[in-house]
Amino acid sequence: MRDWRSLALGSLSVATGLIVWYLIGALGLVSTELLAGPADVWAALVDILRNGYRDTTLAQNILATLGRCFAGFFAAAVLGVPLGLWMGRSRMADASLNFVIQFLRPLPPLSYLVLLILWFGAGDLSKIVLLFMGAFPTIATAAMAGVRQVSVQRVQAARSLGATSRQEFVYVVFPAALSMIFTGMRIALAGAFSSVVAAELMAASDGLGWMVFSASRFLRTDIILLGIILLGLFGMALSRALVAIDARLIHWRGRE
Amino acid sequence: MRPWLATALTACALIALWLWLTLSGVVSDLFLPPPGELWDALVDLVQNGYKSRSLWEHVADSLIRVIVGFGAGAAVGTLLGLAMGYFRTIDALAAPFVEFLRPLPQLAYLVLLIIWLGIGETSKITLLFLAALPVSAVAARDGVRNVSEARIRVAQSLGASEWQIFVHVVFPSALAEIFTGARLAVGIVYGTLIASEIIAGTSGIGWMILDAGRFLRSDYVFVGILIIGFMGIALDRLLLAVETRLVHWAGR
Repeated sequence: MRDWRSLALGSLSVATGLIVWYLIGALGLVSTELLAGPADVWAALVDILRNGYRDTTLAQNILATLGRCFAGFFAAAVLGVPLGLWMGRSRMADASLNFVIQFLRPLPPLSYLVLLILWFGAGDLSKIVLLFMGAFPTIATAAMAGVRQVSVQRVQAARSLGATSRQEFVYVVFPAALSMIFTGMRIALAGAFSSVVAAELMAASDGLGWMVFSASRFLRTDIILLGIILLGLFGMALSRALVAIDARLIHWRGRE
Repeated sequence: MRPWLATALTACALIALWLWLTLSGVVSDLFLPPPGELWDALVDLVQNGYKSRSLWEHVADSLIRVIVGFGAGAAVGTLLGLAMGYFRTIDALAAPFVEFLRPLPQLAYLVLLIIWLGIGETSKITLLFLAALPVSAVAARDGVRNVSEARIRVAQSLGASEWQIFVHVVFPSALAEIFTGARLAVGIVYGTLIASEIIAGTSGIGWMILDAGRFLRSDYVFVGILIIGFMGIALDRLLLAVETRLVHWAGR
């Protein structure tokens, strides 16, 4: 009952927003050069689907953005999770590596983008390295914190039942750390999605961020708005999907 | 081996690698400046500034943008979030917009703000405002939602009015989560600031980095990155200090 009501109210408020947006253009409150109306954005979508945008198709741009995002994120997860687990288990690994990661972590990724472009050129490599460097410290730190917060009683219980060090890690420590690892991955992926668009604004020849920035040079607010709406919808889908995967994989969250 | 020894050893190894790469000429100092050049660049920037503005002006410009944008965004976001947490109807009405805005890459709407508001301070501060708002709103809403039912019942049975319950029970209970949201928002605003200065700017640390990069002055770029890193850590520590002061009961 409550869900039905909030769905209705939500739709109502989105519909009101759309009507206000339409009226602003229709009544001439703001010139359509500055704010394209909903119909213009729809027309832009149809046009881009049919003819593409400056020699790129919409699918190509979407795939370019998502591909970069996932490439950087996966590289960070593949390296960050084992390294974080190791730092959580071994004091020596923590002492020798953690300070480097903690130095990188608070740096806004865009601050070193200039250097990466200088080192790796303006192609995909510099962008993927950027996303990797943004996501890696977050994931590694989460994995380390996950190992650290495993309850001592559980580990001792496993040991007193005769578990080997390896069994203790596989059956006790890793599952217990999994929920924090997943939280870290969610934060990292959201950050990567934000950074990829910024990187595409700086230097790219395809991708949704590039499309928005290139359209802004020609004051095509219809294409800009289309890009913003698509990016917003992809962002929402991404965060919904992660919440769903999280609930599936770590079904014991909140019931520990 | 003691842990601190491991830290010292890795640090020494990294510095040795840096020295070897730069001094042996394996990597040109265009790409990676040797330590001496980095120090000279820092001294030069402190003494002479960068492009007719002193280093402090660049730092101050960036800080003012962050503080105004974050302050306004966090204040409005928190109020909205408190209302959303307290009144289901407001939540249902505002949620679609907040949830659309939250994962939206901030730079996507920067170009629109530039078209509407120009490349001056207004568009940058509006961008930072919009970056801080949804994060603060969601944190405040969840904070209100997580207030224990029992506490509210106790206050009700002691005869507290709706307003008293909100001011004395709900708000203080939600404060810890509001602060967590604020720290998250500062991080996002800070990252967005660099981007906004890179795309459209004539002052600020982010602009300095990009401009120096155009002229292949990687020594200035490195100094700028270090300054940004330390400013970010300082901002986060400051918020943490305010939080432990105001919400001294958190975790208890």
